[in-house]
Amino acid sequence: MSIEVQYRDRAKELLAKGEVKLVIGYGGGSTPNRRRPVFASSPEEVDRLVLDSLCIANLSGYLVTEGLLSDEKKVAVFLRPEGIRSINILAAENQLNADQVVILGFETAGSDIRPLEGGNVLDFSEFIVTLSENRVVSDSDPVIDKLENMSAQERFSFWQDEFSKCIKCYACRQACPMCYCRRCIVDCNQPQWINTSAHTLGNFEWNIIRAFHLAGRCVECGNCDRACPVNIPLRLVNRRMAVEALNSFDHFAGLSVTQEPVLASFKKDDTETFIL
Amino acid sequence: MSEKFEPKIVAFVCTYCTYAGADLAGTSRLKYAPNVRMVRLPCTGRISPMFILKALQKGADGILISGCHPGDCHFTHGNYHARRRWMVFRSLLDFIGIPTDRVKYSWISAAEGVKFAELINTITEEIRALGPFTQYHGLIEETQSQASL
Repeated sequence: MSIEVQYRDRAKELLAKGEVKLVIGYGGGSTPNRRRPVFASSPEEVDRLVLDSLCIANLSGYLVTEGLLSDEKKVAVFLRPEGIRSINILAAENQLNADQVVILGFETAGSDIRPLEGGNVLDFSEFIVTLSENRVVSDSDPVIDKLENMSAQERFSFWQDEFSKCIKCYACRQACPMCYCRRCIVDCNQPQWINTSAHTLGNFEWNIIRAFHLAGRCVECGNCDRACPVNIPLRLVNRRMAVEALNSFDHFAGLSVTQEPVLASFKKDDTETFIL
Repeated sequence: MSEKFEPKIVAFVCTYCTYAGADLAGTSRLKYAPNVRMVRLPCTGRISPMFILKALQKGADGILISGCHPGDCHFTHGNYHARRRWMVFRSLLDFIGIPTDRVKYSWISAAEGVKFAELINTITEEIRALGPFTQYHGLIEETQSQASL
């Protein structure tokens, strides 16, 4: 039985028994190689669900839609490993009750797809610990290494070229499961900290602040990178921040539902080398 | 005839330690470079990275952020939080290409008037040697030109 049929049956069962009120999954997109979110609230709608290696978006952001979980009913959602980590972070930041989320987990490698056993986020604890251990070993990225070897001036020019393309559509913010603030800093205008115009200066400020706000929270699902209409390599800067959180504070984002946010906690012996 | 370059440095300091240290430098009649503009804040924990970006946006060539030594915070742990934030923000600025030499961090207690005066002198000289932050100034100028329609 293919994983798609298997998960459709499971989703159908969950809805039919009334265990969940909604299933958030993937459906066919505008072209054969795209997938778009599908929201199924009755067993009949489940047949629209698709599950294959093209399902790469992190759907956890839909769970923090205002009012969705306030009736204390459960919602099932299709999640890749990054998505499961997002649930941990959202729960740790008190944005949702993880017990209300039924996870239909799967992971992909190339065109292969395989299911992940479990339903509640706690069922995946061991799996995430394994992820974090593997991450410590393989945290280098050729493009990041190339950038790190440049002079500051060259890096500035690189990002100047990239950020000058930004049109301030905020698609990155919209696509990001971690960007749930009701009022984003960029929408605050008294005082106006960040230039809202789409000139390079404002784009620098916006992208720096977004990366900073995601430091230690980003799970590198790549939603922002894919959403960007002008293809700014946002994953590079987010990845750099994740590496920083891991190296400096041994913090792997989304490890558990009780993990303290890295910038809202401290250790008395945090070691730095630059404070005079 | 070109004038000698005088760097603009903005200092964000906490009121309990570094500001008091600066005050001590003043009352001790210590002379230090006049290039620094001090912004007094309740605690280093109040210093948002947004302030640093704003200072750069307004044309600063260098920035100093300073507060109480670890363990001395008036609010017991504001500077520990600040330290984490600086560590992350510093590496972010570095990755974006804003030279780390231009944003300095220090711990200066209320008793360290001499350290304050010396630090201001050294960073002023360092920033003077680096010259104006032309790359960022270029971005600022671009915002002032008329939009091409």
